[in-house]
Amino acid sequence: MVNAIYIIVAALGAAFLLGLLKSEKRGTAYVITLFALSVMTWISAGWVWAFVMERAAPVDFLTGGTSPPFSINFRMGLPEAVLTLLASLTGLLSALYMKDVLCALGQRAMAVLLVAVMALTGIILTRDLFNLFVFFELAIISTAGLMLLSEDARALAAGFKYLIVSQMLSVFFLIGIIFAYHATGTLNIDGMATASLGLKAGGAIAFFFLFIAVVAELKPFPANGWGLDIYESAHPGFAAIFSAATSSAVIYAVDKLLLIGGAEWLPMATGIGVITFLAANLFALPQTNDRRLLGYSSIAQTGLILAVLGQRDILGDNVLYIAGGLLLSHAIAKAGLNWISGLVAGRELPDWAALRSRPILVFAFVTFIAMLSGLPPFPGFYAKWEMVRILAGEGRIALIGLILLGLLIEAGYLFRWFGYIIKREVPAQSVRCSPFQISAIFVALASGWALGFVWGELSNQYFGHDNLLLAIPVVFALTFLLLDWLPAWVKNSIAIVGLSLFFYLTFSDYDPLRMIFAIIFLIGGAVILLASYDSKGRRIGFYPATMLMFAGLILLIRATDTFGFFAAWELLTIGSYFLILRGKHSEPHALSYIIFSLGGAFLILAGFALAAQGAPLFNIDALAQLTQPLAPWVFLLLAIGFMTKTAAIGLHIWLPGAHSEAETDVSPMVSGILLKAGLFGLIVLLMTMGKQQLYGVELTYVMLWIGALSALLGNLMAIFQEDAKRLLAYSSIGQMGYALFGLALMNHLGWLMALMFVINHYIYKSMLFLSAGGVAKRTGTRDMYRMGGLITLMPLSFIATLIGIIAVSGVPPLSGFGGRWIFYNAIISSEYRLPMVIIFLAGPIAFLYLFRLIHTIFLGQLKDEYRKIKEAPFWFILPQMIYVALLLAFAVAPGVALRRVDTYLNQIFPGGGLQWTGTEISSAYGYWNPVAIMIIIAVIFGTLFAWLLFVNRKAQKVKQFNIVYAAERPYRPETTHFAWNFFAPYRKALGFLVQPFATRFWDGVTNTLHTAADISRRLYNGNGQSYAFHLLSFVVIAYLMRMGA
Amino acid sequence: MIKRFLALSLLVGIGAIFVALMMSYEPDASLNLTARYYAENTASETGSANIVTAILVTYRGLDTLGEVTVLFLASSIIGLVLSLGNKQNTTLRKLVPVGELLTTGKSYLAPIIMLLGVYVFVNGHLTPGGGFQGGAIIASGMLLLLLSDPLKHFSHALISLVESLSGFVYVSLGVLGIVLAGSFLDNRILPLGDFGDLISAGAIPLIYSLIGLKVGAEFSSMLANLSEMEDLQ
Amino acid sequence: MTYIALATGFLLILIGFYGALTNRNLLRMIVAFTIANSGINVVIIAIGYMHGRTAPILDATVSAADALTRVIDPVPQVLVLTAIVIGVGVAALMLVFAYKLYERKGTLDISKFAELKW
Repeated sequence: MVNAIYIIVAALGAAFLLGLLKSEKRGTAYVITLFALSVMTWISAGWVWAFVMERAAPVDFLTGGTSPPFSINFRMGLPEAVLTLLASLTGLLSALYMKDVLCALGQRAMAVLLVAVMALTGIILTRDLFNLFVFFELAIISTAGLMLLSEDARALAAGFKYLIVSQMLSVFFLIGIIFAYHATGTLNIDGMATASLGLKAGGAIAFFFLFIAVVAELKPFPANGWGLDIYESAHPGFAAIFSAATSSAVIYAVDKLLLIGGAEWLPMATGIGVITFLAANLFALPQTNDRRLLGYSSIAQTGLILAVLGQRDILGDNVLYIAGGLLLSHAIAKAGLNWISGLVAGRELPDWAALRSRPILVFAFVTFIAMLSGLPPFPGFYAKWEMVRILAGEGRIALIGLILLGLLIEAGYLFRWFGYIIKREVPAQSVRCSPFQISAIFVALASGWALGFVWGELSNQYFGHDNLLLAIPVVFALTFLLLDWLPAWVKNSIAIVGLSLFFYLTFSDYDPLRMIFAIIFLIGGAVILLASYDSKGRRIGFYPATMLMFAGLILLIRATDTFGFFAAWELLTIGSYFLILRGKHSEPHALSYIIFSLGGAFLILAGFALAAQGAPLFNIDALAQLTQPLAPWVFLLLAIGFMTKTAAIGLHIWLPGAHSEAETDVSPMVSGILLKAGLFGLIVLLMTMGKQQLYGVELTYVMLWIGALSALLGNLMAIFQEDAKRLLAYSSIGQMGYALFGLALMNHLGWLMALMFVINHYIYKSMLFLSAGGVAKRTGTRDMYRMGGLITLMPLSFIATLIGIIAVSGVPPLSGFGGRWIFYNAIISSEYRLPMVIIFLAGPIAFLYLFRLIHTIFLGQLKDEYRKIKEAPFWFILPQMIYVALLLAFAVAPGVALRRVDTYLNQIFPGGGLQWTGTEISSAYGYWNPVAIMIIIAVIFGTLFAWLLFVNRKAQKVKQFNIVYAAERPYRPETTHFAWNFFAPYRKALGFLVQPFATRFWDGVTNTLHTAADISRRLYNGNGQSYAFHLLSFVVIAYLMRMGA
Repeated sequence: MIKRFLALSLLVGIGAIFVALMMSYEPDASLNLTARYYAENTASETGSANIVTAILVTYRGLDTLGEVTVLFLASSIIGLVLSLGNKQNTTLRKLVPVGELLTTGKSYLAPIIMLLGVYVFVNGHLTPGGGFQGGAIIASGMLLLLLSDPLKHFSHALISLVESLSGFVYVSLGVLGIVLAGSFLDNRILPLGDFGDLISAGAIPLIYSLIGLKVGAEFSSMLANLSEMEDLQ
Repeated sequence: MTYIALATGFLLILIGFYGALTNRNLLRMIVAFTIANSGINVVIIAIGYMHGRTAPILDATVSAADALTRVIDPVPQVLVLTAIVIGVGVAALMLVFAYKLYERKGTLDISKFAELKW
């Protein structure tokens, strides 16, 4: 392999050579610059290849004719090779990206760029402390110089502030070096490590100065104002280097220093890192300038990696995998995002909506933010999982909490930004870019995915997890990215066939319980997708997102270990987020959905990690073996995590908006199908862990209460809605409450009823959402009071709604009644009286809102503007009719689905099941014969209907529907409509129950965070002198903490 | 006032750390590991009488290359800053006339100063001094020229040629070290010669002279740039 | 002797920092940093000093054979040379930046260059 020193030689030789060219020969100079950077990249890439493919051993390269410690040596090992490749490749791509400005400024700028990249590789490669200092100074000076590339006049001041800070740092660095040299008699890093500097007289203080000087380059809180100014004002091409390459090099320098300092300095690294991570993410919240936001995020990410390095004592060799995964994710994503920021004209976050004109850039953006947020299938995800697993195994719970909190905040502002891109108005100034710039971004994009694959393979190799990018459902979903140019109907057909085929191929794998979910996810998904045939055009982005959600769902029920389960959980979360975001007005709702979901996911992650106690592979079934005192905590974390997805009361505020604002065919998917993921999680949890007690409180009993309250309040909130889809969304909260209640009863019948709810809710909620969506599509509104009398124009939608509400309300003869019957049996057999009363109360309330769907939409007077509307589109009606048929069939023969489950449940709850004899089903309290009921009801209904027709054959038609009192002046037209605020009297009585307490609470949380951040970030007042104060305070505080420890 | 108080209290904190560091300091009685190696082996390994020079140019040659690069960077950036400015020459400042003493003195002194500079870096391996010192002396000669004639324009092309060529040759000599002697910047690519002679110590005098030229050129280019920057006012 | 030099060096550093923290004029800040840099250079040299020994140059008075007992530690001397040069480079750079800043705003007050904040 090529001597690593040639990396330095190539850069310096070229930089000096540039001076020989006349200043007109800028083209030649640019080619030389690119050539030198390519050589550097090529050499590093060669080493990466050698270490990865040929398992080469690390090599030392000597200088000055002697061996270390008497001369300076470079070391090339795997980390060095990867990092130098990262630095030189970023340099090369940024040089391509900055072609215009480099050629405009001439050779000097190119030379400075070359030296900058060279200095970074030097920091990575050198094993000599003073040499490290020299390369640091080179990096600092060239950074200041490259600030001049910016068009922003403020960049100069940022460069000056940086120089002020770095002057102080170099003083500290030199003090550290000279005293460390004095203490150990060597300048060699490895030599100092063996001489154990910390034990020598003055060694600890000397190391303190070294450590602080290098860590301060990572922009730790609060000494990081200068870093933000650089990020905000630098040329985006250089900001990419500064964020991706400089941070990585400095982090590696810290890693080398920690070698000298030893284990006792690790806590300090973690402390500084985690505080920086949290503070920077928090301060980023109120940020509106895109580049400054990227700066905050960069600082946060480096803080996180520093914290991980500080956990080296327990992470051991995994530190390379974890810190490396985080570092590379950060570097690639930040380089990419900074490059994109150069293409966007405006500096406010919503200006990025300009990216919509180029879908590939949107895809790149979302890839990058997924990498930063640690979402699958990128390295950060694997790193996050292993990190939390190991930390939990060692009991470092507080650290996990802080890290996950920071990650959640970061995901919050990143996804908010993504929402702007997708939903905000496209600014007048469009994206301007050269092919070079696009290709730089494209390389970052490709490497992000490639690294995701590599990390997946490594995860498979070392921890026995499956590589997510090899999972067939994921591959299938990602294929749609390549197929996105096809018309929607083709892709829809592929999707439907794919889902069905996957079911056909795998249906023998599932036990009866999972079978229910598999059918709902795969076949149910295919049925809903029929409605998607209604969409015209290409529907860019819909299918990758949908299929990603389905991939997550199906992987969820197929998962056997906690890793697979969690990965699937995150996949379905991201997929559904993209789907929900597609709705016209869904920007804020999609955001609250993703934040709640990720928050829930992090609780699940923590729960799983706690359960595994450090074991790399943990089977879900093994949850059953957990004992006190751990078990109840695991249970609590997992339960809250899953209940976030089922929108249990208190955690429900994301649901109404997310479900109602979604597109017509998306609402049934996220409501009818996605909610079941949460139930599935709860089922798995309760099946394995059963009843748990925490401080003497029976946790399933608490869940019972939550279920009962969700049912009551969900239904109550539903009755006061004017918007048909919102009404249905709130009703889902109530319905999930029933299911939760049933599960929490922890007996045979309770579970049977919950599973019945799973099936029923899928059918009728999908159906109702489709018919409400169809009506909304025709009338152009979702407000029910604007509709009316549609029964004659949209008879099929009416029938679907009618059947649907009969099923929901649980009256005979449809399957809802069956559910209700099992349910009553279940609660009679349990001893929980009070929640039982509440859940009984919730029942009639459901009638109130369901009644409105029929009464206000389909009955009453037809409005003039709707006289000519047609039935909903065929593709909406088709699945509804399928559901009608299914409901009827399920009502007559519930045993088809339930009997096997009933038997299966005997394994978990022996006894207490139902007796299935012919068409009759009996329990300890009575019997239910669906067929007989169906016939009786049909006869009664038929008779009554015929009689009504006969009696009313001469009845008069009524025309009026506005109600206005005398002298009342109706300013808002809807207030005069009889169907508006239909249940006003109930509101007077029960309104206090539906006050948006939860919404207010969560709003309060976000507002507090925002306000706190907005006030605290004023610390960075922009004055270079204040930054010097911050730095010195940081040094003094760090020292005091060090002494205290 | 508050600021001063804050600054003082912070510096008291920093000072306390310094004091702690000083308290723990004990002077060495004998040379430490690294220094001993240099004291014992420099003469035989490099042939240089000045141990500092041997370390600077050979053992820690990479640092020195970096050091030269720092100056190169600084002068490049200064040139860059200058090129960014608005180039319209506004009214030139009225200069105070330069005295007779200075103009006459410079024509005698400048060549001698330059010569001294060259002497210092050529003898860097034998006597105190070397490339940096020599380069700085050369640049001080340039400063004298500038003082006597503030509007004088040096040939940027020449300065930049010297700067780039010496730098490039320096790096190439380093590479020759890898090719011929086994490691970067090894001075034994040339014969070590007789200890104490002007032409001895392998490539050290050559490299140090190049450094001298490069440092001189870099300082000169900074001076020239800075003085022209002022002209623009 | 060494302690006096060390103390002087540290004091110079503190004086330099104090100047940089309390003067808002860019040029004064640069001068302050130059003072601090001199301080650190003194500290480095002081660390290398050994009582009763001479400069690490082999000549008629110090032969290669007795260098081990006669010369002081050469390493700090090498380091200080590098440190000085780097300090000069940075100082020159800061001066040019200050000049440019002055050109843009007509002031040398650092608090006037705070457009980038929060």
